[in-house]
Amino acid sequence: MNASQQTLKAGTVMRVVIAEDAALLREGLTRLLEDRGHSVCAAVTDGDALLAAVAAHQPDVAVVDIRMPPTHTDEGLRAALTMRKAFPGTGVLMFSQYIETSYSAQLLEGGAAGVGYLLKDRVANVAEFAAALERVAGGGTALDPEVVSQLFRASRQRGGLATLTPRERQVLALMAEGRSNSAIAAELVVSGGAVEKHVASIFTKLGLPPDESDNRRVLAVLHYLGSPA
Amino acid sequence: MNEEIRRVTGIILCAPLTRRTVRELLYCGLGGLAGVAGFWITIVMLALGLTISASILGTVIGLLLLTLALRVSRRLGALHRRLAGWLLRYRVEAPPKFQPGTGILGRLDKRLRDRAAWRAVSYSLIKLPVAAVQLYATTTACIGLVDITYPVDWVLFRHQATGPMVVVFPFPFSGTFNVYGFAGTYLAALAGVVCVLAGTWLARAVNVGDRRLVRALLGPSSMAERVSELERTRTLAVEDSAAALRRVERDLHDGAQMRLAALAMNLGMAREKLDDDDATVRELLDAAHRNAVDALADLRDLARGIHPPALDNGLPSALATLAASSAIPASVSADVGSRPAPAIETIAYFCAAELMANAIKHSYANQIKINIFTERSGVLCLEVTDDGIGGADAARGSGLTGLAQRVSTVDGHLELSSPPGGPTTVTVKLPLRA
Repeated sequence: MNASQQTLKAGTVMRVVIAEDAALLREGLTRLLEDRGHSVCAAVTDGDALLAAVAAHQPDVAVVDIRMPPTHTDEGLRAALTMRKAFPGTGVLMFSQYIETSYSAQLLEGGAAGVGYLLKDRVANVAEFAAALERVAGGGTALDPEVVSQLFRASRQRGGLATLTPRERQVLALMAEGRSNSAIAAELVVSGGAVEKHVASIFTKLGLPPDESDNRRVLAVLHYLGSPA
Repeated sequence: MNEEIRRVTGIILCAPLTRRTVRELLYCGLGGLAGVAGFWITIVMLALGLTISASILGTVIGLLLLTLALRVSRRLGALHRRLAGWLLRYRVEAPPKFQPGTGILGRLDKRLRDRAAWRAVSYSLIKLPVAAVQLYATTTACIGLVDITYPVDWVLFRHQATGPMVVVFPFPFSGTFNVYGFAGTYLAALAGVVCVLAGTWLARAVNVGDRRLVRALLGPSSMAERVSELERTRTLAVEDSAAALRRVERDLHDGAQMRLAALAMNLGMAREKLDDDDATVRELLDAAHRNAVDALADLRDLARGIHPPALDNGLPSALATLAASSAIPASVSADVGSRPAPAIETIAYFCAAELMANAIKHSYANQIKINIFTERSGVLCLEVTDDGIGGADAARGSGLTGLAQRVSTVDGHLELSSPPGGPTTVTVKLPLRA
């Protein structure tokens, strides 16, 4: 089954593996997810243990800290990339104090389906964080606003982006984060119809093929922005 | 003229009565003995070490003996320096401490190249003739002291003895004469005075030479070596500070940042669980939550300013993030072969950041290009070009002066080309090692 086709209905229990070396955050995340009725199969502290736990539990999604022992640089990312190859059905949410362009590029190289990259700050908004994790578990995408703004800045499509109205740019950014129309409507406090109108206008201006599926729409937007996804 | 002669004669004759003379003679005695012993210890160990290591089987033992000889020489040198400081009041700074290498071969290599130790060896070898003269001077003075006591000896001990009293008079090198009566002992005493005077002044003269040897061979080395020593310590200082900054960033990441993230998460969870009707508590909780999130963002910027974590993955990776966060479109092209030292990477990164900030602030540019590559000569080259208005002037108190200073701490340099109307190109050249 292709990861992008796999969907997770609202209210479904997610099976999650957490890889985070700081005990405080590891326990906090476990509690947060269990509070919301999800099941944390394993909470580990390094990349090798992550791969073992994913192999053992076959979870829906893994939350992975980028900096972990032994070198405290990017072992989380490397473990996640290995995991993506070995277990394409499992979503990966990278979780870091920093957004690095080279990390997001590597992460999105294999496609944006079932991939997330969020700043650790985002966990402060519990509902949004849980929603992002659910998206990733269901084969969707969850990119930090910071990742998206870096993609916008680095994009070679400045000409195309310049034709958009400020509101349309906002909607495009939220689409690139991986959000659905209803989530965008809630975020911008507008009606669902208004969002649909904006989306249609954006796709026409940028010359993108319209697509009903949220997941594939994200891919089209990211591809347009020049990310390898 | 007469005055002068009388003064000099006074100095010559009174010299033996000064404390300085006692110290100089003591130095001659102790230093001479140490010198003779040191000569033989050194030469035997060196000769053994060299001959044994010349044979194939004994290479290891021979080299060990050689390094031992070098270590002992350093110790002997320290002993001579201390004697000179204590007795001659002639203080010579010690040469730089030995810096051991890493690994067995590295250690051996460093030992064998230890210039301070080899200079100490040469002191030990040259010291032998000096020590001989020093011992001769001391002996002469001591014999002289004995000779001076002869008139008293005669009166006290010679009532019943027969035969002559033998007087040792070591001039020109050794000799004796006999005295047969009380009057003769005055001659012996006179010979004693001559010996004491001669010993005193010989000691002073030879010690002048010995001081020079101590300074030249046991002190800190020549200017060139001093410079290379300073370069080495500067590299250490630069690398040390880069490592310290990295450590601070890591401590922030594992400490304050992590705790704040957990705090924000807990506050977020508390907010979720709170009943809607408790408006005051909710307001307070919201404020606390907002503050925690803001503090996290502040702390992240601070940590990035201390040591950007992406630098751990190399300059291209770190510069890519830097360019992606720039307010003006920026592109990076990187072609760095082997990785420069961490301290150099840090300097290059902060140069690029500062130059980009300058371009954004002053140039009205539409595009910034960062180019980083390694020249064939092992020089790291960073070029930051913008298509702005140009006319940047390093002398006008811009950040460029500070940058040039920072770059010069590792012998790098900075070139500015900014004609009015642009484009502006700043080139920073850095060595690959600090």
